[in-house]
Amino acid sequence: MISNNKNSNIEEIIPTNEVDNLFEDTHDIAKRSKRRSIIGKVVIYAILVLYAMFIIFPFSIVIITSIKTWIESRNQIFTIFPKDGYTLEGYKEVLKYDIFETLELPIMIQGFLNTLVYVIPPTFMGLFVSTLSAYAFAKLRFKASKFMYAVLLATMMIPGTITIAPQYLVYDTLRLTKNFPAFPLIIPGMFGSAACVFFMRQFISGIPDSVVEAAKIDGVGYFGIFIKIIIPLSVPALIAQGLLGFIGGYNDYFGPLIYLKDAEKFNLQLALQLLEGAYNKQRPSYVMAATVVALAPTLIIYFIAQEFFIEGIAASGIKG
Amino acid sequence: MNEKHSVSLVNDVTGEALFPVTPKKRKKPINKEAIAGTIFASGPLLGFIIFGVIPLCLAFAMAFLKMKGFSFKGAKLADPIFDNFKTVVQDNKFWESIVNTLIFGISTLICLVLSLAIAYLLSKEIKGRKTFRMIYFIPYVCSAVAVVLMWGYIFNTEYGILNMFLKKLNPEWQLRWTEDATDFRILVIFISVWGGMGYSIVLFTAALTNVNRSTVEAATIDGAGPFRVFWNVVFPAISPTTFFLLVTGLIGALQSFATSNILDKNGGPDSSGITIVFYLYNKIFDEMNMGVASASAWILSLLILIITIFNFVGSKKWVSYDQ
Repeated sequence: MISNNKNSNIEEIIPTNEVDNLFEDTHDIAKRSKRRSIIGKVVIYAILVLYAMFIIFPFSIVIITSIKTWIESRNQIFTIFPKDGYTLEGYKEVLKYDIFETLELPIMIQGFLNTLVYVIPPTFMGLFVSTLSAYAFAKLRFKASKFMYAVLLATMMIPGTITIAPQYLVYDTLRLTKNFPAFPLIIPGMFGSAACVFFMRQFISGIPDSVVEAAKIDGVGYFGIFIKIIIPLSVPALIAQGLLGFIGGYNDYFGPLIYLKDAEKFNLQLALQLLEGAYNKQRPSYVMAATVVALAPTLIIYFIAQEFFIEGIAASGIKG
Repeated sequence: MNEKHSVSLVNDVTGEALFPVTPKKRKKPINKEAIAGTIFASGPLLGFIIFGVIPLCLAFAMAFLKMKGFSFKGAKLADPIFDNFKTVVQDNKFWESIVNTLIFGISTLICLVLSLAIAYLLSKEIKGRKTFRMIYFIPYVCSAVAVVLMWGYIFNTEYGILNMFLKKLNPEWQLRWTEDATDFRILVIFISVWGGMGYSIVLFTAALTNVNRSTVEAATIDGAGPFRVFWNVVFPAISPTTFFLLVTGLIGALQSFATSNILDKNGGPDSSGITIVFYLYNKIFDEMNMGVASASAWILSLLILIITIFNFVGSKKWVSYDQ
């Protein structure tokens, strides 16, 4: 990072030098500015590559550590090729770890399955509800449209922190924290989110009205238009929002931390944290193996569908 | 808009020419559309009423109640009425948590400046721009727990590769984040910046591709150096995005919790990791003091409101929506 700053200084120094040579031959200046732009290019690439390495660096360390023996992983000197050779013992251990053998499945696998149960229903249902709402705001005319949209946007401004205590109190009073602890993780998300409505409305507004009008003339109802026209035409946006929603839920930490108290109900993130505590810094290679296992699904999804992620994020911010 | 037009149609005959379709539709179909529209649109709002409005009202009430545990049974009105707020304000730990939160908020600013610099370089004629951007965005999809465990290993005080490297350079530079408050804060900020830049880089690059190329070229031909071109032409053009990232980033930073909580469940050395949300979390789940927790949540919201208003007022000086 420090070296980056030095590099960018070079770029600033060069043009000031050129002021002295203002009366030089134009030919010479052209030559110089060409050289200058080459140096500039090299500096730019250097910074971009360095930063890319900075992003990839921790992952490479983690992956290498995860295939070391646990003794080797505590070595003060980091080796890429460990003396004891590579081993998969970390992965084997982590994938069968079961606290006091009380669970039916190893905690990482149980956590992964739990995560899917907690995340998939609200992602799909929430996306459906949000998109239906976005369609209404974008294409249908109704009296309260403006007012309802304004209220919805205003809800985005409310800091989530303020509802933590009362929400917990309500769920506890209804005995949900004991009987259905995942309720607050699953059900509220099914009602969609203001951010998703905002994004989808922007996208659906881009669908020409003539398409909708034509369907109307053919006698298709408003819900029919939504199912037959709006959804098929919004697939890229739906995938982007669905993926972002899924990843967000998959990575959630605060909600599960508050509501999930039994290890058998833990989502993957809590399971990962539990494993870290269980090895208590004694066997880092195991913890790193667990980290790789926990990261792998999101990273695989990201690499397959990266365009959806990046375009989805970029589009959501432009109007913001 | 629609209401206005329909009103003018009734009152003024000339308006008819503008919206010839509307009068035919007026009697029945519009009703159907209005009903469908209202029902379709209401899903997220219904969710907000159930899971937002009710807790909000309760949060308001709870801030003025003395409660025993997680129950309204035996709850009494606080006496004096602002007693919960008084408890919070007189609690040194609360003020420490505000200081900690504001310190961690620095990461938002660092993150903004660095990601703008990277995005600006990315917006030049660069080969492999998409690959770079793809790599830079990776941290965004990684969970907080995994990210903290990764960096926690790399900065482990006994065998972490970077900490050992720093130690070799100069024993003073080692990050003793398990025992030293400042080092703990540095690590939290470091992790937040590493994790947060991907999102801002993507938004900044999107904004930068929309900057008018001819204005930039005109300024360059007029003899403006790269720095002046950036400051006088490019920066004003992307100021709305910068502002958006600043506001949302600060609102997020004021509610930060995960990084410091995962690094140390107990809040770090000298409680340096206890953010406001961490304080609130402890009040709810350790002390089961719901009244005081709610009062502190309201104070946090007020703080967020003040900072956001401050941002909006300040933005008039540097944000331009011309382009």
